[in-house]
Amino acid sequence: MAPRSLWNGSIAFGLVTVPVKVYTATESKTVHFREVHAKDGGKIEHRRICPKEGKAVDSKETVRGYQVSARKWVELTDEEVAAAAGTQTRLIDVDHFVPASEIDPVYYEKAYYLGAQDKGRDAYALLLAALEKADRAGVGRWVFHNRERTVIVRPLGDALALHTMRFADEIVDPSDFDLERVRRKPTEQEIKMAGSLVEGLHTRFDPSDYEDTYRQEVLKLIEAKAAGKNIELPEPEEAEPADDLLAQLEASLSA
Amino acid sequence: MPRSLWTGSLSFGLVNVPVALFSGVRDRDLHFRQLHAKDHTPIETHRFCAEEDEEVPYDEIANGYDETDDGEMVILTDAELAAAAPHRSRTIDIEAFVDLEDVDPIYFDHPYVVMPSGEAEGIQRAYRLLVEVMGRSDRAALGRVVMRTKEYLALIRAREERLVLTTLLWHDEVRPTDPVPTPTKKDKPAKKEVDAAIELIESFSCDWDPSRYKDEFQKRLRKIVNKKAKGQTIEIPDEKDEQPSPVPDLMAALERSLEEAKAG
Repeated sequence: MAPRSLWNGSIAFGLVTVPVKVYTATESKTVHFREVHAKDGGKIEHRRICPKEGKAVDSKETVRGYQVSARKWVELTDEEVAAAAGTQTRLIDVDHFVPASEIDPVYYEKAYYLGAQDKGRDAYALLLAALEKADRAGVGRWVFHNRERTVIVRPLGDALALHTMRFADEIVDPSDFDLERVRRKPTEQEIKMAGSLVEGLHTRFDPSDYEDTYRQEVLKLIEAKAAGKNIELPEPEEAEPADDLLAQLEASLSA
Repeated sequence: MPRSLWTGSLSFGLVNVPVALFSGVRDRDLHFRQLHAKDHTPIETHRFCAEEDEEVPYDEIANGYDETDDGEMVILTDAELAAAAPHRSRTIDIEAFVDLEDVDPIYFDHPYVVMPSGEAEGIQRAYRLLVEVMGRSDRAALGRVVMRTKEYLALIRAREERLVLTTLLWHDEVRPTDPVPTPTKKDKPAKKEVDAAIELIESFSCDWDPSRYKDEFQKRLRKIVNKKAKGQTIEIPDEKDEQPSPVPDLMAALERSLEEAKAG
């Protein structure tokens, strides 16, 4: 069965338009729980309460507000928020191209696949082939569900992938966090030994080598609990803090 | 200083560094509240038990799983759930070192900043050692971290003399591309078309510079809020945009695009 597309529109590339459909590329495989009342398993409902009246309020009696001062709220309707999308909401204008390898992982937000529409498949095939050969990703903007994102379009096998990207001002600068001073910096000998550990553990990344074993453990727990077994609660374990770095590195290397 | 989202230790061989994880992203979006229409009282969300119609304090809430074969709901407390991986909930073991370029961006999930937790010289030195050794190599450390009842594969790298961590999706969380409609062999472009398209791409190529992108939607939304605060009306675009139709002649469109690119 063909998946359902989330958005239909076009990619503009010069004067060429590529009609596309957007599909989700990822899905969560986490074991999902619902909130329940511990003592009787009653389902938990989230209710809207007006704290002034202490009563539940129907969603029809509510409005969306933005706080401009301590007492003043500005009301906004759905249409007014959507008006911020501006024009050309059916178009992703890819107006420049970058080497994808230059992009730091922190910018990548969410991944989608682009499908070809029935009309304009030739344009899709052209963009795919040209990006592949030029080894570039196209950059544009996409407004989707009242959010605007910078997006990159890049070839991924026989399809185009679209990634929403975080804006630079959303990224926390690691140097905003202060580091304590150290009296003695790591020595060359320690760095060299740690470096050999790194090389010793070097491997070629293959995502299928790694399984979410935790997911399996959670499912086992559920089975045990369903069978009426007691779950043993783990004792807190204390990791040995680093004290004698050199000795620990030596021991790691000989392990 | 923001609150840490996870504390535990980072373990590299026999070296253990107590660390705290902080979010690597901050939210810049305008946020709205749901208000009671008649008097603008901000609405609160309270949790109620549907069985007894009573409000339930947060510490009486457990995790219910109702997809078992016999249709019975299984209830696990947070403490019981933590028993699923007691070690990994508190320790990130570095299992391997990989080349960043081998990790397809489709796996990248959420960024964090990893900071040493504790002022002891030994902790700080061990942290610096990891920063130093990872900074010198192009390799990223690969480990697993359990946060809020989910396990993630995680890449740890050095940036600006700190360690940063990016969670990765599991391979089975990335969907195959097969069901996505893609062009067939008969859509294969002619060589001269591909060459012209590459020329066009190259003429608009530049370095990745994230600072050039600004969130215009949020900017316009702020303007709308300000206008509304002053009692002005907001113009609502009345028509839905039409999707542009595909061009009839690809080669002609490419040639014209190239001419326009050259004309600047």
